[in-house]
Amino acid sequence: MAAERSKRYEKIEFLGEGQFATVYKARDKEFNDRIVAVKKIKIGTRVEAEDGINRTALREIKILQEISHPNVIGLLDVFGRRSNVSLVFDYMHFDLEVIIKDQSVIFLPSHIKNYLMQTLRGLEYLHANWILHRDMKPNNLLINNDGVLKIGDFGLAKVFGSPDRIYTHQVVTRWYRSPELLYGARQYGTGVDIWATACILAELLLRVPFVAGDSDLNQLSKIFEALGTPKEDDWPEMTQLPDYIEFKYQEGTPLKQIFTAAGQDLLDLLESMFKFDPLRRCTAAEALKMDYFSSNPQPTANSSLPKPTQPSNVLKEPNIIKPGMKRKLEPGESDPCKRLLF
Amino acid sequence: MAGNFWRSSHCQQWLLDKQDLMRERNNDLKLICEEDYQKVMIFFANFIQGLGEAMKVRQQVVATATVFFRRFYAKNSLKSIDPLLMCPTALYLAAKVDEFGVLSNSRLIQACQVLVKNKFCYAFNQPTEFSYRINHVWECEFYLLELMDCCLIVFHPYRPLQQYVTDLCSSTDDAQLLQVAWRIINDTYRTDIPLLYPPYMIALSALHMACVINQKEAAKNWFAELAIDMEKIMEISKQIISLYELWKNYDETKEIKAILQSLPKPVVSRPPSQGPNDGIQNNDPHVSQA
Repeated sequence: MAAERSKRYEKIEFLGEGQFATVYKARDKEFNDRIVAVKKIKIGTRVEAEDGINRTALREIKILQEISHPNVIGLLDVFGRRSNVSLVFDYMHFDLEVIIKDQSVIFLPSHIKNYLMQTLRGLEYLHANWILHRDMKPNNLLINNDGVLKIGDFGLAKVFGSPDRIYTHQVVTRWYRSPELLYGARQYGTGVDIWATACILAELLLRVPFVAGDSDLNQLSKIFEALGTPKEDDWPEMTQLPDYIEFKYQEGTPLKQIFTAAGQDLLDLLESMFKFDPLRRCTAAEALKMDYFSSNPQPTANSSLPKPTQPSNVLKEPNIIKPGMKRKLEPGESDPCKRLLF
Repeated sequence: MAGNFWRSSHCQQWLLDKQDLMRERNNDLKLICEEDYQKVMIFFANFIQGLGEAMKVRQQVVATATVFFRRFYAKNSLKSIDPLLMCPTALYLAAKVDEFGVLSNSRLIQACQVLVKNKFCYAFNQPTEFSYRINHVWECEFYLLELMDCCLIVFHPYRPLQQYVTDLCSSTDDAQLLQVAWRIINDTYRTDIPLLYPPYMIALSALHMACVINQKEAAKNWFAELAIDMEKIMEISKQIISLYELWKNYDETKEIKAILQSLPKPVVSRPPSQGPNDGIQNNDPHVSQA
């Protein structure tokens, strides 16, 4: 049965390879030859192979099977056997990281508004369904040629809801990791995804990662350097966190000096999403209701969004395209910096 | 556990009706009677429970594993995969799905061997050996995932029950009521109920029975005000009561061995030179090539 299923998908080309999986572009012969992405989970180390069906894949299957939203990647099929599992997804042509890095693409404010709106809509849906993504970053925001953006890679996603449940804080690629995670919080919520989304928004504006620390401490220090060290008033629970240490007080730079081209409505949004206290940070639903999204300019139509201009042979190279293949972090991984290498 | 039950795979794909259930089961019922089929399901639910206790998993993992097990046999004959192999497999998968973690391979197999030899020895011919290895579990795990259509999140009645009890009892006797209803819910996993009814209804039915047992008069109004189909609730209660009726006159230790031996056996394809396939007691994996 499994063998028949794998014949259904005809490999077209290799798309990328990462820590956990290899991704191929394939043709679905039983569905009008539609183009799909087949993510073949690597068997990995002997230790991992001894866990039966790969846990990361299982998380992805479990969660994606329950949800459906235009801005969330769709799981179309699963086939394989034992630890050798393949997941079949909507085919997405590129991701936000590719676009951000493409120097020849110029972002208009209306483009940024569109990307952010699609991202927040997907996130609002996930959070309404009690799902934390836990690995939001440009490389996991997948975009197809129609300009539809979908949140992808649910390998770290988690169903939340039990307030007393202890989670690992080693989630989210460091540059997008919120201060509470960096301070070792084991109980956290939707705020971690919002912080990461704020970092993505900042990256859309600056075209370089907003805070790119090379260790957890360095990451915190860079955040404080940019946004100012939080005081007790800003974040009362801060000092209770497991890995809390005091940083030298820094004033920080006002957001409007960092994001010189941003209007006041956008600065207000950034400020709400970059609140240090996770309880005061806005939610995805609140963010979508802020003035930025109702004021001019209107977000671009999906079909007018920029596309990568690099020649396609560059895109075909491994490590340039495809879901979650790099800057990738394994759950429970204690020293993720080695995975940040490109 | 995901957010919305009404849009979940559990609600949309895995609330079966009696006809769905009987369609597959009828094949097995040519060999054993309906009552014996129920006894087999009770036996293996107990086996999963015993295994869960040995592996020290949370009760939720046991509940999920039992539903996985029943979902599989709701769509497949008992002969397609040996239920004795499906028990550890369902628990192994459920532990991962409910984020309990991966069960130790060696401890899982060892726990099965111990259960077969000791706690459930009455069900097997002695000397008994649990002959499956972890490779068989891995093989079987994928069939289970696939035949459940990758639907992994299972909702349970425990959480709604707690909410209803809080709502119904302002203060006094709620602890005892909760406990009685909780046990009734545990028992429902020995029936078809979790495959047929949504968890909130199962919770209400268990709570209703608990109120009757505890003679809680005040509950009458509370139930009267609920906007639910009381007939459905009674239907569930009836099935729970018939489980208790069955238990009253049934001694598993004496009867189950004969029933298990009459089960339709897996067909293992192998060279004819190795002799006839004799089912449960042989040493080959009983995973048929579906």
